[in-house]
Amino acid sequence: MANTLLALSARQLLRNVAAKQTVQSASMSANVAGSFARRLIGKREIVGFGFNGEPSYVDRSDFPFPAIRWKEPNADILALREKEKGDWSKLSVEEKKALYRASFRQTFAEFQAPTGEWKYIIGTGLLILSLGFWSYFGLKAFVYSPLPDSFKKENREAQLARMLDLQVNPIEGISSKWDYEKNEWKK
Amino acid sequence: MLRSSAVRLHLLFKNVGIFKKSIPSTTFGKIKLMSTHNTETDTQFDQRYENFLSSTKIDGWDVRRTDLFGHDLVPEPKIIIAALKACRRVNDLALAIRILEALKDKCGNEVNEIYPWYIQEIKPTLTDLGIPTLEELGYDKPEFALQNVDDMQ
Repeated sequence: MANTLLALSARQLLRNVAAKQTVQSASMSANVAGSFARRLIGKREIVGFGFNGEPSYVDRSDFPFPAIRWKEPNADILALREKEKGDWSKLSVEEKKALYRASFRQTFAEFQAPTGEWKYIIGTGLLILSLGFWSYFGLKAFVYSPLPDSFKKENREAQLARMLDLQVNPIEGISSKWDYEKNEWKK
Repeated sequence: MLRSSAVRLHLLFKNVGIFKKSIPSTTFGKIKLMSTHNTETDTQFDQRYENFLSSTKIDGWDVRRTDLFGHDLVPEPKIIIAALKACRRVNDLALAIRILEALKDKCGNEVNEIYPWYIQEIKPTLTDLGIPTLEELGYDKPEFALQNVDDMQ
């Protein structure tokens, strides 16, 4: 009994592994017409590995060559590709640019251009910071009662005198710095 | 009982043969599955890439596949020349321009010192093949701006 169960479950396990592999290898052959990847990218030509083997287009500086071309081939581009097979110096600058834009969406200079987003981020940050200050002063002005009397200068001086009278902390603390004979701070 | 189980399991693995297929054969045998110190010298490195890119058997996929721009270095001009020639063989001008852009990107902070020297080194090949420099195309500066996807309605 146990043997049969073991055999069955092991066989099932192995079959699952095999099925998964089949799926994976199928998704890798995205060139098959009607495949899922093909439905996503349309007629765009798969020309390379890209950055992870998926047929996707991303402009990245660490992986400069995307897996697919940016544009689907149309009549203009196909005519240009025919012309591309000849001497490149005979192509005009416009044609060269058109060829580039057929393969790639943005140039390095374009996708690395500063977005200016940092201004927005710093501005928002300072705004939120200022809200904190405003709420503090607002609370100070309208909510909190005034500070107690013990914060006034004469009251604090009186408290200090009282501490010296009581000889608070006479070894290393405040009273050790008071000269009781001359009634002044030790020099 | 355990023994018969083991025998059955063994038979199963043997018959299905899936593990033979799924694991590449290179992991068997004498090859150790551990890293080794790279003993390749810079000259050998340059030569390896130059040889690969100079091969007439490679297609556009292989030119794109090279991890040349993934290293912490600016490739030697001779490698770039080989790459540009490979682009010429596969008739892909856009790829050649992209290589120049990637090269400029690799120059990093020293771009004002390294890049002009580079262009000077590969200029004969560029004129020979009719590949424009980025400055001739105006691609050293952004040409178009894209609308931010977050701003789109």
